[in-house]
Amino acid sequence: MRLLVRRLTPNNSPAAIATTMLAAILAAMAIASLLFLDFGANPLSAYYALFHEPFGTLRGFGYAVVKATPLTLIALGTIVACRSGFTYLGFEGCFTLGAAASAWLALATAPGQWAASLSPLLFFPAAVLISFTVGALWSGLTGILRARFGGNEVLISLMSNYVAILIVKYLVAGPMRAPGSLPETDQLPHATWLAFIIPGTRGHAGVLIALAAAFLVWMLLRKLPLGFELIVSGLNPAAARYAGIDVARRTLLAAALSGGLGALAGLTEILGVQHRLMDGISGGVGFTGVIVALLAEMNPIAVLPTALIYGGMTVGADAMQRRAGIPSSITFILQSLIVLFVLASSMLRYYRFNFAALRSKKEAMQA
Amino acid sequence: MIQLSQITKRFPGIIANDAVDLTVRPGEIHALLGENGAGKSTLMQILYGFHAMDSGQILLDGQRVSITSPADAIALGIGMVHQDFMLVPTFTVAENTILGLREGTGAMLNLKRAASRIRELSEQHHLAVDPNAITGTLPVGVQQRVEILKLLYRDARVLILDEPTAVLTAPEKYRLFTVLRGLRAQGRSILIVTHKLHEIMELADRVTVMRDGRNVASVAVEDTSGPELARLMVGRDVNLSVSKLEVPPGPSILSVKRLSVRDHAGQRKLKDISLELHPHEILGIAGVDGNGQSELAQALLGLRTIEGGSILLNGRDITEARVAERRALGLAYVPADRRNVGSVADLSIADNAMLTQPRSNTRHSLFNKTLIRARAQTIITRFGVRGANDETHASKLSGGNLQKVILGREIMSAPKVLVVEQPTRGLDVGAIESIWAELLRERAKGTAILLVSAELEELLNLADRIAVMYEGRIVGVVDPASATAEQLGMMMAGTPLEPTGVSS
Ligand SMILES: Nc1ncnc2c1ncn2[C@@H]1O[C@H](COP(=O)(O)OP(=O)(O)OP(=O)(O)O)[C@@H](O)[C@H]1O
Ligand SMILES: [Mg+2]
Repeated sequence: MRLLVRRLTPNNSPAAIATTMLAAILAAMAIASLLFLDFGANPLSAYYALFHEPFGTLRGFGYAVVKATPLTLIALGTIVACRSGFTYLGFEGCFTLGAAASAWLALATAPGQWAASLSPLLFFPAAVLISFTVGALWSGLTGILRARFGGNEVLISLMSNYVAILIVKYLVAGPMRAPGSLPETDQLPHATWLAFIIPGTRGHAGVLIALAAAFLVWMLLRKLPLGFELIVSGLNPAAARYAGIDVARRTLLAAALSGGLGALAGLTEILGVQHRLMDGISGGVGFTGVIVALLAEMNPIAVLPTALIYGGMTVGADAMQRRAGIPSSITFILQSLIVLFVLASSMLRYYRFNFAALRSKKEAMQA
Repeated sequence: MIQLSQITKRFPGIIANDAVDLTVRPGEIHALLGENGAGKSTLMQILYGFHAMDSGQILLDGQRVSITSPADAIALGIGMVHQDFMLVPTFTVAENTILGLREGTGAMLNLKRAASRIRELSEQHHLAVDPNAITGTLPVGVQQRVEILKLLYRDARVLILDEPTAVLTAPEKYRLFTVLRGLRAQGRSILIVTHKLHEIMELADRVTVMRDGRNVASVAVEDTSGPELARLMVGRDVNLSVSKLEVPPGPSILSVKRLSVRDHAGQRKLKDISLELHPHEILGIAGVDGNGQSELAQALLGLRTIEGGSILLNGRDITEARVAERRALGLAYVPADRRNVGSVADLSIADNAMLTQPRSNTRHSLFNKTLIRARAQTIITRFGVRGANDETHASKLSGGNLQKVILGREIMSAPKVLVVEQPTRGLDVGAIESIWAELLRERAKGTAILLVSAELEELLNLADRIAVMYEGRIVGVVDPASATAEQLGMMMAGTPLEPTGVSS
């Protein structure tokens, strides 16, 4: 009689998922707290700062939402690509280009520019459209190289990040540069800023775009024949062809959709947070978003809380640094540990406790 | 002597093996028979350490042994040839043979020594194989010899073969039987899974019949007969003699003219194929595997680039049409590779049941779950898919049950022309009976059926005409009523006979 018994199927009930995730997070925190000791900090108060700031204060929560917004969009892009069998890692590039595209349109609405008469009501749909299209075309390029010529999309998309980032570097250093010393554009006209919708915080309307996108991606993958065809193309291209699905075209579509979503992440960042285009605005979200998708097990709805927690921890890290004097790089280690532990924790759901064994052991001891 | 005692194995929702006993003596060929999904492969995989049993024990020469991995099994002299071969296609025969073995003392592989030992073994057992050939380029029959050599190289005393004859041509099969008899003479034990009763009667000494995970009988072959085995296995009398309705075929619905196809390597696979197919007709395509039959079926569906010739469906030229268009025009296809082409392993039966026409399961262009489940349920009940519900993943289905799902799906799309490839390969007699009946029902409804099969018995029973293919050509069309298996065999070997009783 063993205490741990292997199950035939993993226990995928919400309670089991929550428990294993919580266990994973606690384990990661326990290990990371060893690192705190070196700084003479009390792990409990450090962790209090880490979680109280983003989830216990309104201001911090607003920041968490702001951080979660691009993460969500990039995670959704990852899900669309991945479920369709397209391993896309070019979100840094899509993000940057999407940001550049919406900055370009926003600057064109400044007084005296060609789009000065564009009403705000039209500006936002137009910005979404342009950003999405630029991102879709950019990732579509990788899609074509893969679908038509059999290129390796991982390699191509990774390299394409550098190209995109350098293009934007050139834009802010040259054609779009504002007069002044720094390589950046003018501040965007106020009318083009995404409204702050959580009173008393920096939480902007970009979160609505992310929520809508999550719903649409969920619809696509769960409710629409097109999504089914994408999934089949991803799981088994030979069977997809046999079923009459044009696999090359579906791959291309998946690539374009995911790049478009990545570009929208850039839009929310530029119109909601930065309000001007500069070099290096992505700061790695193009990769963090992929991690969020993995943690959410490629489920478009689970992405929402995952991104919020992940974004919240980034916010909390700053607070922890301020309050407990712990460098925010420690939080990065903690985040990485959490990622590893949560990814590994799904294994736990294959086991259950055998309490009968425990009892019989106790009885045997008493006897 | 190997004894399996009270082996029980549960899978989610099903008991695959329910207290099974099985004894195999040295120098015995022991056949294992049972319906699709009866638990034969599961039992063999437990013996080979692929699956862990829930309860029961394995005794080798009276000693209880614990087999928790294939490595344990190999160490005990138990070897297995799987239903789907497990060879690395890019490796040579020698490399595949020593794969997973720890040879000699040094860190380096000694491929030369391995090769010479393989040569020795292959001579000794009449298993002609070149140790330096690249495995992927060899025909299936030879690949199977490699699998058997692998076991002999490890000096297996117990050889398990899971449906070894399903993919073999008749001559390859007889060669295999000779080899197995030779191994029996050396005192080795052979456990062979097969659905073909006549093979059991011909080759085996004892036979164990399984039904629903239980051992229902273990008898000596002399004491039983084919029909009795069928009855033990299915639980009722099986009737494989079909009665075909005489229906006059209508005007041609599918017309293929001088069709030519090349494969990716530029090899000509079809050469000037012409044929006509009529409603209410089953046109059989006979031939040794690899003579262009699969390419013909794939070209008809649009899965091959057509080099020359034309295909007319109902008078419409579909030579250039895409797969989806052809399907919309009434073509349906049951491919030979049911695991990798006909279905998606990671999707449920419900999803697989709508694989080829997802768009017809929607309401307001959104998927309608009720409709999807109902369709899957219909296939499960009408085609007798066992031990599964609509949420079961295709990967968990036994081969026969998966075939029923695929055939059911294609038939339910109400096709005008149904192309079926090897519909009963690996199926038990009960399932064959029901699939034959379904095909004949389709014929009676007016569907035109192109039946590609390697089983002459199947063609002679079902087809209205049989076209024989050899090296990408149709070498003759015969009337099954007057054709004999010998005659067909000659034509399949490339001898163009004066065909008797040719119709259109
Ligand atoms: N890995 C698995 N997980 C869940 N169920 C399984 C698994 N493997 C087999 N089964 C189920 O166990 C039962 C026995 O399967 P098994 O493959 O042993 O049948 P079989 O007798 O070999 O059939 P066939 O003649 O079609 O090869 C089937 O109902 C099958 O669906
Ligand atoms: Mg089997």
